[in-house]
Amino acid sequence: MKKYIAAAAVALTAMTGSAFADGHGDYPERPVMLMVSYGAGGATDFQARIVTMTAGNEDALGMPVAIINKPGAGGRVGWNWFATQADADGYTMGAYNIPHFIAQSIEGGVSYSADSFEPIANWGADPAVFVVAADSEFNSMADVVSYATANPGGLTFSGAGLFVGHHIAALQLEKAAGVKLAYIPNSAGGSGAMKAVIAGEVLGGVNNLSDAFRARAAGNVKILGVFDNERNEFMEDVPTMQEQGYDIDNSSVNFRGVMVPKGTPQAIIDDLAATVPEMFANSRVAGKMKAGGSPMHIMTRDEVLEMWAARQVTLTELLAGL
Amino acid sequence: MNNLPRSQHIVASGLVAAVGVWVCFVSYTQEPAAAFLFPRIISTVFAVLALWTFGKALMGKSKVGNGLTADSMKKILPGLIVAIVFVFWAAKGLGFYTASTIVFFTLLSLYDPAPHNEVRTWIKRIVISAGYLVVMYGLFAMLLSVFTPREILF
Amino acid sequence: MEFLGYFGEVFTPFSFGLLLIGTIGGLILGATPGLSPTMAVALLIPFTFRLEAAQGLILLGAAYTSTVAGGAVSAILLKIPGAPANIATTLDGHTMAKKGQGARALQLSFLASAVGGVFGVLLLIFLTPVLATWALAFGPSHLFWLAILGVTIIGTLDSSSVVKGLLAGCIGLWLATIGFDDIMGAQRFIFHPSLSGGINVIPALIGLFAIPQVITMFSNGRTQASAEVIKVEPSPIGDAIREIFRRSRSLTIGTLTGSVIGLIPGVGGQIAGLVAYDQSKKFSPERDKFGTGHSEGIIAAESANNAMVGPSLVPLLTLSIPGSPTAAVLLGGLLIHGIFPGSDLFDNHPEVAWTFINSMLIGQILMCIFGLYIAGLAARVAQVPQSVMAATVLGLAVFGSYSVQNSMGDVYVMMTLGTGMYFLERFGFSAAPLVLGLILGPIAEANFIQGSMIANATSGIGQYFFTGPLNVTLLMIVLASVAYSVWMEMRNKRYVTKDDAVSKEEAL
Repeated sequence: MKKYIAAAAVALTAMTGSAFADGHGDYPERPVMLMVSYGAGGATDFQARIVTMTAGNEDALGMPVAIINKPGAGGRVGWNWFATQADADGYTMGAYNIPHFIAQSIEGGVSYSADSFEPIANWGADPAVFVVAADSEFNSMADVVSYATANPGGLTFSGAGLFVGHHIAALQLEKAAGVKLAYIPNSAGGSGAMKAVIAGEVLGGVNNLSDAFRARAAGNVKILGVFDNERNEFMEDVPTMQEQGYDIDNSSVNFRGVMVPKGTPQAIIDDLAATVPEMFANSRVAGKMKAGGSPMHIMTRDEVLEMWAARQVTLTELLAGL
Repeated sequence: MNNLPRSQHIVASGLVAAVGVWVCFVSYTQEPAAAFLFPRIISTVFAVLALWTFGKALMGKSKVGNGLTADSMKKILPGLIVAIVFVFWAAKGLGFYTASTIVFFTLLSLYDPAPHNEVRTWIKRIVISAGYLVVMYGLFAMLLSVFTPREILF
Repeated sequence: MEFLGYFGEVFTPFSFGLLLIGTIGGLILGATPGLSPTMAVALLIPFTFRLEAAQGLILLGAAYTSTVAGGAVSAILLKIPGAPANIATTLDGHTMAKKGQGARALQLSFLASAVGGVFGVLLLIFLTPVLATWALAFGPSHLFWLAILGVTIIGTLDSSSVVKGLLAGCIGLWLATIGFDDIMGAQRFIFHPSLSGGINVIPALIGLFAIPQVITMFSNGRTQASAEVIKVEPSPIGDAIREIFRRSRSLTIGTLTGSVIGLIPGVGGQIAGLVAYDQSKKFSPERDKFGTGHSEGIIAAESANNAMVGPSLVPLLTLSIPGSPTAAVLLGGLLIHGIFPGSDLFDNHPEVAWTFINSMLIGQILMCIFGLYIAGLAARVAQVPQSVMAATVLGLAVFGSYSVQNSMGDVYVMMTLGTGMYFLERFGFSAAPLVLGLILGPIAEANFIQGSMIANATSGIGQYFFTGPLNVTLLMIVLASVAYSVWMEMRNKRYVTKDDAVSKEEAL
């Protein structure tokens, strides 16, 4: 039955002359699914919804993108599913978070690695920042580090989980400042970690720049430093860690983008790699992202491949010290 | 109610106790210990309670529950088999809409009290099944735009 | 009183139309077994892209309010709670419906929802700054004790044997540990690939409640419809209104419990109804009637459910912290228009903030009006032949659990748990304590681990978990709850089976 319908469909497209020469036909001919390995309303989910909102336009995919959330265990649940159970037919895309999934694959206990996925394009780069409550006595990273030196292992600070960008930033800070800190992973992700800071459950926290930007606008937190190579356009007044004397690079910056499972036809990958970055570059998308406080950073497939490989090396080094 | 055969209670609580003991065993033998702290506490309480219930059943002190009768099992079985085939194979194998419509029609034929030998009954069942298909398709595919597995047809 | 000035916005034809669509659509989606409020709200997000900020939020707010109340419809008529929030409603609501008072149960539930809901929104309007500090007062140690308080309820909840109730709760707590653990990322009890994502509460809830109902309908065989149709007695609305106010104790307990628990980020709505039900039972002189179709049970559970809606938005609107999955989705709805919750929202976009809040107030009342209309249709649902009902519920259960995260694994888990639950129910176990365990397990575990990590870095575990007024208060409530359960068990006032209890009630 299925065969006949497929045959009929092929015949029909051949007649209308719209079949592509490279054999992947009218891809996509139905809505495409985008798996997000974090909950609805989280930063990744929110941004994924914005950057794909123009997918239905003729100059983009020509078909809408449906977001499917598979949250759990810092993204492991979703990426495991994506690597082992998702169909590699081009209709199942996934959102990646670097350094999260690479760090998790180095740590082990999951069924994916950078080789399980084919990147398509990157849409955003959200650096980690160090936040403290608005009424905290800490006013710079130097204050934080001197407290930590006086109380080894006593400086509690929250982050979204183990082996995610926040944890990498925490490890880098410990290494660069030469102190012992108490990193408290939060099971409710970034928003739970932010709540812990505002409520004073912990003395500080590592969080996403986009979320911290909002929390600062609401008058709840102070931002003491950015874990990136240069200052961010959303907060020109906040110095980087390097400026404050800690040798920390951009390894923890949370790169978000779209990928497909290994085994997806090359023609479809090429097709997507050409159209998706342009879809991200749409001016409506840029406007909404800026309004929501989310920094954009568009990268093509080749640039992402390079970035993945580079991260693989630095993270292996960093985590080997554990 | 209280004359329910003791053996039924023994089998039921025995199965629960077996699961409890197995869970307990697994959680104490798996590593890392830190991640299994909570499962260990729970499974210990689970196993103790399950063994307690099993002991009570052995002594014939389990009174709660209506148990199963051969008559009700005979009535359940056809429907349960259809439901299990639907969920574990047909839904993915045939596609959600095709499978659930066939299952709907089958269950209707199995459990509808109307006489089987009248044409009217069958027409009514087909019409209701078609209506069901339309409502499900409208709700899930059109309104909620969920993409369910579609093998044959839609 | 600033909010009064923005009522006009709600009543512009377009906004009011959206409010009506949100309310009616929400009621229908909420009443459909297998669709949760979070899903309904998430599904509306794409529509809000095209609307103005205030209008988009009207739609989302109305849908949120009415899906929570709509879940009571299937809970009462079919014993299938629409969301975890409605579990407590099944306990007395469905028993009442079985006695032919489905219409009355629905009226009570919608009236109680409206009273609770309006109170909750008024709290949001007048006490937001105070409530915000309250919401932040609950740290890991307090949330841990709160979860333990929930566990102590398990044994006495809808079960004729305390041991079996606790055992069911333990099964639920264990099921919750399956999958990757949230903090360490270790794999636990994954003996089938479908379980690698853990057991999602919504498919489990659908399976544990809907499948036993379907199988029970099968067990009636090809009986003549007339023998099984439950008569629905007509119920004048006036009587229901009088009943609500006669039961003001339950209404007060439900509303207050719901408001307080709803406020706490991360725990909120899922357990508000159950805790309110349990409290109201403990304070009632007619506590033996609970579970037999007693009006107080419905009133407490449903007023708590909707009272939680308003306060649950406090952490979001003031601190920009989403306290529940639904609030997280609402946050997305605000951000997409470049509005940041917090002082920015109230200072720079008061028309958005107050229109949204006002629309929830009006939404509660509209929800009640349409709900009472739906209650009148209860008789029709009872006339649907059992064969059609069983097949429809099975189909909805499969589609509903699949659509939560487009996963076949969830459907398998749903069916397996449901079939197992049917057989367990035949031996005196019940689904409500099991689901409660499933919900509380992760809350207790995550907060215990986080709490002890903070404690180890600072003051030590003993001091962190056992000192401070809030810890001590919660600990006292936990101990009181345990003592009460033991005392009740000693008095041995329990019935052998649910059916037995119903027949005794009828004899009274």
